[in-house]
Amino acid sequence: MVQINFARKEINCKIVYYGPGLSGKTTSLEVVHQRTPQGHKGELTSISTDGDRTLFFDFMPLDLGTIAGMKVKFHLYTVPGQVYYNSTRKLVLLGADGIIFVADSTPGRMEDNQQSMDNLAENLTEMGREVNRLPLVIQWNKRDLPNPVPLAELEAKLNPNKVPTFETSAKTGDGVFQALKSISALVLEDINSSDRKQAGGIQNNAKRAGAPAVQSKATASEPAGASSGSMPDRDAGKVLRPVPTPARTAAAAAATSGATATATAQGGASAKAVAATKPAAAPAAGPAPRTAEPVAATEPRAASRAPMTESKAALKNEMQQMAQKRAEKPAASGAATHASSGNSKMFAFMALGILAGAVAAVVAAKLLLGF
Amino acid sequence: MSKDQQLRDDRLVFYRNDLGRIDRVLEEFLRLAGASTVLLIDKEGHMITQAGKVPSFNMDTISALVAGSFSATREMARLLGEKEFSALYHQGERDNIQLSLVGDRTILTVLFDDSTTLGMVRLYVTEAVRKLEDLFVEICRGRSDPNAQGRADMDDLANIKNSAKDTLDALFDGN
Repeated sequence: MVQINFARKEINCKIVYYGPGLSGKTTSLEVVHQRTPQGHKGELTSISTDGDRTLFFDFMPLDLGTIAGMKVKFHLYTVPGQVYYNSTRKLVLLGADGIIFVADSTPGRMEDNQQSMDNLAENLTEMGREVNRLPLVIQWNKRDLPNPVPLAELEAKLNPNKVPTFETSAKTGDGVFQALKSISALVLEDINSSDRKQAGGIQNNAKRAGAPAVQSKATASEPAGASSGSMPDRDAGKVLRPVPTPARTAAAAAATSGATATATAQGGASAKAVAATKPAAAPAAGPAPRTAEPVAATEPRAASRAPMTESKAALKNEMQQMAQKRAEKPAASGAATHASSGNSKMFAFMALGILAGAVAAVVAAKLLLGF
Repeated sequence: MSKDQQLRDDRLVFYRNDLGRIDRVLEEFLRLAGASTVLLIDKEGHMITQAGKVPSFNMDTISALVAGSFSATREMARLLGEKEFSALYHQGERDNIQLSLVGDRTILTVLFDDSTTLGMVRLYVTEAVRKLEDLFVEICRGRSDPNAQGRADMDDLANIKNSAKDTLDALFDGN
């Protein structure tokens, strides 16, 4: 989504290069990076495999300059094109303000192009968006190779909405900037095309959507669009209720003794997250001051995942014993132990006092009454 | 209004007064927690504001990586049956990063070194997140009637389409 920041005098937009694997998305971005003048570009960052295939995304910030008194910055991303990486592709696509579809003009790649275009529409629909309402341009890439698919065929099969198209060669850089210029103009046009001049959006900060923004098709009962401003206020309470401080503090203490990267589950202790992802690590974590409950809570889930081998059964028993011991023992904190021993002492003194009083009363009665 | 239109309207807008109030919360957090830098970024990876020491690295890049990292974590949470992992911690030899979700659309990114502790940071992050969420609700309530400054700011944007042409020509032509 476009972010308009009047305090910093900035407009931030997200452009995504989409398309099938090996169609030239990363190469296009590299061309943009190489040819953009210094001062207008940031570093090109790639999260890729050892074989230089995009694993998550490539990213570069592009500073367009000052327009209407605002500094306009585009964040350019590429998605991983391989079919296998659809979940990460969706994450990159999320919140895109404009898309450059990079199609491969090589004969034999038409099916891949079609599949990727369908996948784009499908992913956008899952997010509650429509491909024909989003700024989109198409690069017919690899036009420099011999015998490319004729433009008429590409247009007929891949461009039913007649969006702007450009013949490009990412290898030589031809046409890449024209496509980027076109999408830039479309995105900027889109900024003030909305009727609603007083834009909001920030209110959603107070409303955590009921469902994750990216959902698998099977579970998408509510699109991400439902996280918009029209969402009823019933969710506001859920968001505004912070995680109780003691739980977080305990989690902080536990996390320092844990792995190098931990994720804290909402409303719970990090111990649960760590145990859920790495059940075997729990005994090794040793006497970290955690409550028994989160560890025990992960047990049924871990048990139901796979048939239990002997070693796993032994591990489970060990974990159960640990959990039981922790539950039986007073809370791990020293203060709690002191408090409980202090209470029992007080009760002992009170009991002694009552006993002594009773004995004194009996003695006094004997003396007074003479029996 | 279609869902698409709804999403389009859903852009994040921060007026100057809003940012001033957010900055005050961040500065107080830095003072209490002893962290070096704090960034507030949106889930698309755009930085909203920053307080404390200006880092030497590119803040746009770190914002994009933080947003990517957080969205991947969210997907992991979904697979595990969690609604969300609301915090994420990266530990280095000297510098560390603590990420916390604020509401639904922003992420608080805290950079700290060994001059403070993770416990201190987490303790005060919880408080800062709560304050920011309350602040966002308050700002949102005031949005139904944007002040004069806000209206003027938005009016300036109406010219962006016309003004963009020259800038785009200058940057892209000749390449």
